[in-house]
Amino acid sequence: MRSLGRVGSLAALVVLAALPWVLARHQLSILTDLLIFGLFALSLDLIIGYTGMVSFGHAAYFGLGAYGSALLLIHWAPPVPVALAAGAVLAALIAAPVGWFSTRATGIYFAMLTLAFAQLLYTVAYKWRELTGGSDGIAGVPKTTLFWGGPSLASPRAYYFLVAACVVLSLFACRGLVRSPFGRALQAIRENEHRFTSLGQDPRPFKVVVFVIAAFFAGLAGALFAPFRGFASPEVMFWVLSGQALMMVITGGIGTLIGPVLGAMVFILIQEVLSSYTEHWMIFAGVVFVLIVIFLPGGLVGTARRWIEARG
Amino acid sequence: MSAALLVELTLNALALSGLLFLVSIGLTLVFGILRVVNFAHGVFYMIGAYLGFTAVALSGHFWLALLVVPPLVGLLGAALEASTLRFIYRRPPIYQLLLTFGIALILEESLKVIYGPTAKGVEPPPLLQGSVEMLGIVYPSYRLFLVGLGLLVGVALWLFLQRTRAGLVVRAVAQNSEMADCLGADVARVRTLVFGAACALAGLGGAAAAPMTTAYLGMGIAVIVEAFVVVVIGGLGSVVGSMVGSLIVGAAQTWGSFYVSEAAMVIMYAVMGAILIFWRWGLFGEEE
Repeated sequence: MRSLGRVGSLAALVVLAALPWVLARHQLSILTDLLIFGLFALSLDLIIGYTGMVSFGHAAYFGLGAYGSALLLIHWAPPVPVALAAGAVLAALIAAPVGWFSTRATGIYFAMLTLAFAQLLYTVAYKWRELTGGSDGIAGVPKTTLFWGGPSLASPRAYYFLVAACVVLSLFACRGLVRSPFGRALQAIRENEHRFTSLGQDPRPFKVVVFVIAAFFAGLAGALFAPFRGFASPEVMFWVLSGQALMMVITGGIGTLIGPVLGAMVFILIQEVLSSYTEHWMIFAGVVFVLIVIFLPGGLVGTARRWIEARG
Repeated sequence: MSAALLVELTLNALALSGLLFLVSIGLTLVFGILRVVNFAHGVFYMIGAYLGFTAVALSGHFWLALLVVPPLVGLLGAALEASTLRFIYRRPPIYQLLLTFGIALILEESLKVIYGPTAKGVEPPPLLQGSVEMLGIVYPSYRLFLVGLGLLVGVALWLFLQRTRAGLVVRAVAQNSEMADCLGADVARVRTLVFGAACALAGLGGAAAAPMTTAYLGMGIAVIVEAFVVVVIGGLGSVVGSMVGSLIVGAAQTWGSFYVSEAAMVIMYAVMGAILIFWRWGLFGEEE
C-alpha cells in the first residue's frame, strides 16, 4: 500500500509535468482550473476531514485571497508570488478572529457561524464599491512576472507550472501537517473531543490554528485564481462556492487530502461536460452528488482504499 | 423621530418577523426532531412562492392558493425525506446537511427551468389590497395580515405540541428518539410527517410572501441565511427561540436598513455576534 502510494505520486508528478506539452490550450486552462480548485478543496479537508469541523463558509477565504492578490496586482503590479503571499496572509488574518469566534461553538452551530461570517464578508465585497468594484468586481488582473525583472508568467504554460508547483508544495505541506504531532492532536479532537479535554488539553487553540491554516491555503488558491481568470468578483465568496467545496471534499473522500483534489477534478470535469450540453447542468450535478452522498460515503478515494484493503 | 414613523417601522419589523417565523420554525423543528439542518428549507419557501403564483394565475383566487400550496409543498418534502434522507440518519450530521444541499441545487435549478429568470408578481387578494388607518398612520393591510399569520401559526403550533397527543409523540421523539421508538412511537413516520409539515410551513411562508416580495430566484438563499441567523440566536430546536429570534432579526433588518441602508446585513450579524458572546447556544438553545 505504502510503496503503491509512492509510485502513484511519482507517476502523478511526471504526468503533471508532461501534460502541458500534450494538451491543447483550452484543455490546459481547464487543468489549471482543476488544480486551483483542488487546492481549495484540499484546504477545506484540513478542517472538515482532519478536525471534524464543518465549515460552510470556506469560499470567504478563497475570495479574500482572490481580492487581495487582484488589488495588489492591479495597483502595484508586483511579481505574482508576492500577490499570492499577500492574498494567503490576508485570508489567514481575517480567519483568525472568525475562527476564534466560531470555534466557541461546535457541530452545526460552527457550520452556521462560518456561513454567517462568509455571507457577511460577501456583503462587504458586494457593497464596498470603491474598493472592490461591487458586483462588477475587479477585471483585468495581470499575470506579471515570477520575480522582479524575472520571466513573465503571461503564457498559459508558465502560469500552469506556477499553479502546479503551488498545489504540489501545498499538498506536501498539508501532508506533513496532518502527520505531525499537531496533526495527530487534530485527529484526536475529531475522534473524541471530550476525551481530548479530559486528557488535559484545550482543543480551542488547535481548532483556531487549523482554521487559520486552512484559510491560508484557501487564500492561496484564491490568489492563484484571480490572475488566472483575470478577475475577482463577489461570486468567488458566495455560499454556492462553499457548498461546492464541500461537495468536492465528499466526492473525493473526506480526510484523505488527495481525495478532495481528485474530487475537485471530477466535479469540474462533470461541470465542463454537462454544461456543454445544457445550461442547467446543476440539476444533474446535484443528482450525482446526492447519489454519492447516499451510496459512496467514503468518496472515491475512501471507497477505492477500502476495496484495495478488502482484496489484501 | 416622529411617533408615526416609529409605529410604521415597528409594524414593518413585525411583518418581516412573521415571515421569518414561518420559515425558521420549520428549520428548528426539523433540527429538533430529525437532528438535520435542512439546507433545502429555503428552496421550499421559494417553491411555495412560485406555486402560489401559478395557483393564483390558474384560479384567480389568492385564498385558494394559500390553502392549496402548503399541502403540495409538504407532500414534496415528505416524499424527498422518505426517498433520500431516511437512509442516512446514522451517519455524521455533515452527510445530511450535504444531502439537503444537493437537493436544494436540484430544486432551485428546476424552478429556473420551469419559470425562467424573471420575477413573478402576485396580486394580494382584494380584501387586503388597500390600506388601513390605525395608530395615526396609514398602513398597507397586507403587511398587517402577515403579522397576524405568523402569530396564528405560532399559537396553533404551540397548542398542537403542548396540548395534543400527536404533539406529545413529536416532543418525545425530539427528546429521545430511541426511547420513543421503544415505547411504540413510529419514529420513521414522525420524522417524515414533521419534515413534510416543516416544508408545508415554509411553502405557506413563500406563498404569503409572494405578494410583498414577488417570487424570484435567489429568494430561497436570502431567506435561509436569515432563518439560520434566527435559529442561531433563538437556539436550534426551540419553538420559543425561533419566535424571539424572528422578532430580533426582523427588528435588526428593519431598523438597520432604515439607519444604514447599505449595511443592514452587517447589523444583523453584529446582533447575532453580540448575543452569542453571552449565550453560546442561543437564547433558548441547549448545549450540543
